[in-house]
Amino acid sequence: MSRLFLNFAIQAYLAGAAVGIAAPVIGCFLVQRRLSLIGDATGHLAFAGVAIGVAVGIAPLWGALVTAILGAIALEWLRGKGRLAGDLSLALVFYVGLALGLVILSARGGLTASATGVLFGSIFTITWLDVVAIALLCLLVLVAVALFYKEFVAVSLDEETARASGLPVDGLNVLLVVLTALLVAAGMRVVGLLLVAALLVIPVAAGSRLAHSFRGALLWSVAAGLVSTLVGLVVSLAQGTIAPGGTIVLAAAAVFVAAAVAGRRAAKRHPRGAGA
Amino acid sequence: MQPVTVEMVGVRFGYGAVPILNGVDLTLQEGEFTVLAGANGTGKSTLLKVLVGLLRPDDGTVRVLQGSPSDPDVRRQVGYAPQGLRMAASLPVSVTEVVSAGLAPSKGLLHRLDRKDWTRVTQAIEAVGLGDLSAECLFELSGGQQQRAILARALVGRPKLLLLDEPTTGIDQRLRPTLVRELRRRADAGATVVAVSHDPDEFHEVCERILVIADGRLDLITHEEFHHQFHGHEARA
Repeated sequence: MSRLFLNFAIQAYLAGAAVGIAAPVIGCFLVQRRLSLIGDATGHLAFAGVAIGVAVGIAPLWGALVTAILGAIALEWLRGKGRLAGDLSLALVFYVGLALGLVILSARGGLTASATGVLFGSIFTITWLDVVAIALLCLLVLVAVALFYKEFVAVSLDEETARASGLPVDGLNVLLVVLTALLVAAGMRVVGLLLVAALLVIPVAAGSRLAHSFRGALLWSVAAGLVSTLVGLVVSLAQGTIAPGGTIVLAAAAVFVAAAVAGRRAAKRHPRGAGA
Repeated sequence: MQPVTVEMVGVRFGYGAVPILNGVDLTLQEGEFTVLAGANGTGKSTLLKVLVGLLRPDDGTVRVLQGSPSDPDVRRQVGYAPQGLRMAASLPVSVTEVVSAGLAPSKGLLHRLDRKDWTRVTQAIEAVGLGDLSAECLFELSGGQQQRAILARALVGRPKLLLLDEPTTGIDQRLRPTLVRELRRRADAGATVVAVSHDPDEFHEVCERILVIADGRLDLITHEEFHHQFHGHEARA
């Protein structure tokens, strides 16, 4: 029987599909608001959370989840106060999170074994319990976005006008970063904390080349995320030694290139120029 | 006497040590159409932002629709159109999506837009003359078309108070009278309309009064006085 249809592969497809669908949904709102790096920062903080979890004896997923949520809320608070302008503050968060995780894991002598799987993913070693946890986290993200879709769109388009119109902008912003943290935790085993932000951004970049509306971009992004994840997994399984996290992100990059070419050709065939 | 919609008493506001509003008193009534004029940097946009609660005055009181401008219930009854497009062009956004975003606050959390809401969106888009472009990406339209979409977003919730910052800037001269008449229609239906404009002439047939802001204070002037002060001055220059 081909490796492609073994039990561990099926588990990987299901977990990968869940993250591949949910990540671009959140990613659309982050990209529109130019907050793409929040996913990266949250991923780095989650690495410190995994290390703390290992140190205190709780499951890595829970350590990552708690730290990512608290870190994301802190980042949003700093952004709201205008103290997170530019990339310097986010870069500080990246390095401190990574260094903290490195120090704690190495001090416990578990650096090589623990860090590789957390940073670069370990989707072929997940259990059915992991699949259920990842699927539930992604489902939570999708349900929340479905419930608050019109509010998220309004805030993403123009935060100032949304605030002036009476929307609870601060609460919605916190909700968005918490959902980002849930997604980062869910993606930890699939592509790893260093690459999970790529699934928040690259499929969205692909989707944006093919649509003329936000909803259209979102749907294309989801399709790009799903295809990238499944193709990346199949390539990794078929080859046998390549890390799936890398193939998934490279597949997403290939989808982006294809979308960019297709979008440009469509624009040439059907120019939609502005009128007077 | 119509009910009072806006009441500002002794409002002062400054950016740091630089005073912008210096004891502004203003009362606006239901159904009143006011044009706010003045030179660049005199505080017209600042005044609108104070009215909509985005800026808090350093001193004085502001009452909007019998409440505080920072009260979400009050804000949901206000249609605000800022100057220019304040959206990142990261992802495509259709005209319909931009305009429907104007209904999100009044609709309430967890409530989806229904058929009646989408009819209102269509009506608002048609009112600003973008009916044929409703499915187009906003960022592929001209500056004037984008401005009309922003105006439609402010109009779609049928607000009791319309605060519009340079609503006709960049819009084709041929279309301006239609938009101005639409604003007058809203005022006749009971909305209080405040439009910031460099050129109050285009509103002279529909507005009740022109207020000029200078040195942090508001002065009521006639159309003739406005012409004399601004256009006469420009002509001499």
